[in-house]
Amino acid sequence: MSDTHSTAEKVAAGLGRRRRKEFVFRTLGMFATGVGILFLAVFFATLIGNGASAFKQTFMKLEVELSADIIAPGGELDLVYADFDGLTRAALRDKLPDASGRSQRREMYRLLSAGAGYQVRDFLKANPHTLGTTQTFWVPAASNVDMLMKGNIDATIDETLRPLSDRQIAWIRSLDEAGDLESRFNMALFTNGDSREPELAGIKGAMMGSLFMLLVTISLSFPIGVAAAIYLEEFAPKNRWSDLIEVNINNLAAVPSIVFGLLGLAVFINWMSLPRSAPLVGGLVLTLLTLPVIIIASRAAIKAVPPSIREAALGLGASQMQVVFHHVMPLAMPGMLTGTIIGMSRALGESAPLLMIGMVAFIVDVPTSFTDPASALPVQIYLWADSPERAFAERTSAAIIVLLAFLLLMNLAAVILRRRMERKW
Amino acid sequence: MQSTTLILLLALLATAAFFFGRGRSLSLVGGPGHGPALHSLPGYYGYFVAIWCVLPALLLMSGWMLLESRVVTALVIAGLPESYQLMPEGQLNLLINNIQNLASGDVVSVAVDESMQAAATELNGYLTKSRQLLAAFALGLACLGGALAWRRIDRDFRARNRVEAVVRWLLIGASSIAVLTTIGIVLSVLFEAIRFFQKVPATEFLFGTTWSPQTAIRADQVGSSGSFGAIPLFAGTMLITSIAMVIAVPIGLMTAIYLAEYSTTRVRGIAKPLLEVLAGIPTVVYGFFAALTVAPWLRSTGDSVGIAVSSESALAAGLVMGIMIIPLVSSLSDDAINAVPSAMRDGALGLGSTRSETMTKVILPAALPGIVGGILLAVSRAIGETMIVVMAAGLAANLTANPFEAVTTVTVQIVTLLVGDQEFDSAKTLAAFALGLMLFVVTLCLNVLGISVVRKYREQYD
Amino acid sequence: MSTSARLITLLVAGISALAFAGPSSAQSGRDYVYVVGSSTVYPFATVVAERFGRGSEFKTPKIESTGSGGGLKLFCDGVGVDFPDVANASRAIKASEVETCAAHGVTEIVEVKIGYDGIVLANALGAPAMKLSRADIFMALAKEIPGKGEGELIANPYTTWNEVNPELPAIRIEVLGPPPTSGTRDAFVELAMEGGCKTVGWVKALKSTNKNQFKAICHTIREDGAFIEAGENDNLIVQKLQANPDAFGIFGFSFLDQNMEKVKGSLIDGVAPTFDDIAAGDYPVSRPLFFYVKKAHVDVIPGLRGFLREFTSERAWGEEGYLSDRGLIPMPDKERLTIAANVRDLKPLMLAEQ
Repeated sequence: MSDTHSTAEKVAAGLGRRRRKEFVFRTLGMFATGVGILFLAVFFATLIGNGASAFKQTFMKLEVELSADIIAPGGELDLVYADFDGLTRAALRDKLPDASGRSQRREMYRLLSAGAGYQVRDFLKANPHTLGTTQTFWVPAASNVDMLMKGNIDATIDETLRPLSDRQIAWIRSLDEAGDLESRFNMALFTNGDSREPELAGIKGAMMGSLFMLLVTISLSFPIGVAAAIYLEEFAPKNRWSDLIEVNINNLAAVPSIVFGLLGLAVFINWMSLPRSAPLVGGLVLTLLTLPVIIIASRAAIKAVPPSIREAALGLGASQMQVVFHHVMPLAMPGMLTGTIIGMSRALGESAPLLMIGMVAFIVDVPTSFTDPASALPVQIYLWADSPERAFAERTSAAIIVLLAFLLLMNLAAVILRRRMERKW
Repeated sequence: MQSTTLILLLALLATAAFFFGRGRSLSLVGGPGHGPALHSLPGYYGYFVAIWCVLPALLLMSGWMLLESRVVTALVIAGLPESYQLMPEGQLNLLINNIQNLASGDVVSVAVDESMQAAATELNGYLTKSRQLLAAFALGLACLGGALAWRRIDRDFRARNRVEAVVRWLLIGASSIAVLTTIGIVLSVLFEAIRFFQKVPATEFLFGTTWSPQTAIRADQVGSSGSFGAIPLFAGTMLITSIAMVIAVPIGLMTAIYLAEYSTTRVRGIAKPLLEVLAGIPTVVYGFFAALTVAPWLRSTGDSVGIAVSSESALAAGLVMGIMIIPLVSSLSDDAINAVPSAMRDGALGLGSTRSETMTKVILPAALPGIVGGILLAVSRAIGETMIVVMAAGLAANLTANPFEAVTTVTVQIVTLLVGDQEFDSAKTLAAFALGLMLFVVTLCLNVLGISVVRKYREQYD
Repeated sequence: MSTSARLITLLVAGISALAFAGPSSAQSGRDYVYVVGSSTVYPFATVVAERFGRGSEFKTPKIESTGSGGGLKLFCDGVGVDFPDVANASRAIKASEVETCAAHGVTEIVEVKIGYDGIVLANALGAPAMKLSRADIFMALAKEIPGKGEGELIANPYTTWNEVNPELPAIRIEVLGPPPTSGTRDAFVELAMEGGCKTVGWVKALKSTNKNQFKAICHTIREDGAFIEAGENDNLIVQKLQANPDAFGIFGFSFLDQNMEKVKGSLIDGVAPTFDDIAAGDYPVSRPLFFYVKKAHVDVIPGLRGFLREFTSERAWGEEGYLSDRGLIPMPDKERLTIAANVRDLKPLMLAEQ
């Protein structure tokens, strides 16, 4: 009868519909969250599926006779010009005696990596007393052998369509049966610089390049970023200049990274004439790129420190500077560090600006200083992905896995720090 | 003396100065713990002396190093025979370059004559002398500055205020770097862009509808004249950006809502960092994923339902870019949602509305400006994204709104124009800088708009 | 290194608390060879550099992939340790670039031709094999083709291959190729398109009467979507071809060589793009590759002469050298001998040859 009754009835009548709506809304939310995470899973699964095999590499057992006639013709050890490839080839000939004629032998030699001779040389350099003896070496097999062993080359298709001939495949099979081939952990991937031979190529050079760049970046962007954040948050008067700075910083955080590359090219290389491909320049560009990220995060961290702490310190007679440096900054430090780590992980994965400042280069020697020519991990990925040799495909994925592992570690550190920081006042 | 050694020496001096200053202030009041007779804490006196010791010396060093080569070059030129001094500017430059190379034992491009050899020796002499002088002056200045500062210390000396003023200037300097960066960006693209606009009228660039930088690679090859109408590039960029937004905005927003309002703390604790990983994946990696996994898959799916999908469709790049942007949208929306005062949320719930009703009718309208600001920032990120489109979007400048066709973007063109095989000072290369300028201006507008929307909204509830 | 470099290095070193080797004596000269240039020559130059670096006491040269134009620009910027010693190019140096070089004091340049690269038009292995003539290629890819009447040009009407030539299969024309900024594109246009273009009588006649118009007709590639500019990442093109059996890709022979089980090259004028046929000069679409050396740098930059010797040695660029394994097509014996001799004597480039 009464209005209240009818209102309750109205509410009750609509309840089913409203609950359904609620359910749909909630499910949509779950679905959306799921989509993101699903993509992540697909992404990692694809990547690991493609790249995991690159952490293994096929090695070949060779009994190499370190003949003094070849290596030390004049009685003197000649490490530069001696024919070390000849030694390893002779060892392979002993294993596969059925190769006859020059062209067949050439085919056979292709099973050996170009690195085999260098391995023998390095061994001899370290152990000169072994001259004249016969030593057993496990040398990397050529990348095509490795690809066959990993099943990436289809032996059943027509001979002309694959990089290995029937004869080569037969040799590989016989070596395998004799136990002369073994799949081992691919140390070269972590201890070598770049190489055009996939079996010798490693990411150490790129990792060191990235490390040097990050060192430059962190040593400049952390102090500058924190100082700027402190100024803007604690000291800046409300005037045009402060407004300008603030708009600038927020804008720079969203400026396309390739524009920073153009800046680096014009300012650091053309104007300051710093060397191209140097981690120093890369680090400077990345500093400018990460500064806004660090400033914004640090400001948020400073803001999160409750005013009561400032007031208490001020009340006890501390100057504003003392309040900031003795009380606010230590409390805000975890937040600032989190921001820095996030900035660094962005810097580590950045490649577009590096394309503009000459980091797309083939550099074999591992860099040892800030001005040595160097590459960086993401650029190495870009370069390998463009290499014609198929064995680089899996190595590209492997390099991506390594890069992501670093990024995940950094993210994890940031998450842990933030957990600590999430402190309720 | 090596400049490294000099810096180390200065650092040593500064440390010593600190202890001298502190010691003097303490001795003035007769040791530590002797009451409030000093104006500032003893340490501040130490810092004061140290700053006066190091700062002037460092300034001198930087100024010296910047001017050194110019002065030395002028001296060397003055010492050259007359015939050389009358040479035209460019040739003289070259000669100096050769002398410098000769002096440091590097490559020399012309035959070395006696006067050059003499000049090189002279150059080395000047350099050595300059370094010796610098070291002497810098160390002298450091001692002098330190001593003067040390003498000024007395009970009433306001050391803290002096030190704090210096620190304050350092802080201001640090925060001004952002402005310098912006100026640097503008200057580094502006000049080349102006040179481009001298060759190609700005109206053609901005409103032309054909982008075809097929200008001749060699002078004897005429080919087509090339047209630089950037509309197809902007259109392609917008197409890919819109696709990305269509993916990222609903998913990102719903994720933010779910994580903020529905999920348990545990789910939130796991899902949020996982999604952030998505944001941390390098774009080069996304690019390969788009080009090698998503694009072929789209194509074969398209074929099976009878739609012709280009193998570098805008859809593939947009899709992957959208996935990349999800975390950005979701975290910015999350911030906006959390910033809505809980009184409003509690009020709506208290009146009996369901959570979804609270969300759509109360919180979202309140958080809308923040969310819109966040989306604007995401749009500017999508516009400037480079590696994904370089790898997946192709280079064909089609003016189309069909997501299954190939389009190209501003960033792709910048990269291709700058790393191609063409002659370097052609309109093509300069076009890259004009595009860079456009990119900067457009993202600047979007960012400023987004930031001001976000800020205005924040002020409402704070 | 410049003053500012030292200043910044010092600053960085100071802040990072001298954690690492420190600023290392910044004054020392460069002790490695510095190469820039074409991304087409890059795969070959890098192999030589690596062999040279491992086999000698010198450091491995640094090779930057900048594109021919960007490389020559850096190369021509001056003489001295800050500038590259060698520039790779997938085309010959232009007169204007020689002038730029001279204006910056780079007066003596040695040109070294290193061999040939075939340009192939390939499709997925499972797709039908194509026997094309250069005329077919021109008709399929030109922006405007000669119409019925003399001097008449019509916008390219063809959408499928069989419309171009009834013997070809009825599949959509879809060709992935390099952008206009690429040397590969330049060579393709000149060798394949122009070759086909000349089969039309009145156009051929234009060549002597109105060269500009002739080139405008022959060298302009259609922009209506049938030809897709696909960037310079040839691996991506190969993968896109696999995913799309109707599409064709234009890229260097070395990529075909490495991906024989994924893609196959179309026959052009009846000749398949095989190593032997390109080397013999039978395959019509192949172009020379070059590098340029600053004479002033030889014997001053450590290892530069050795690098040149390695590059021009028989074990590198010979018939059975390691570069041929990578898909570089060697020059005839006699030409190799002449060029190697020129390199030994550092015979500078004569502008008149251009």
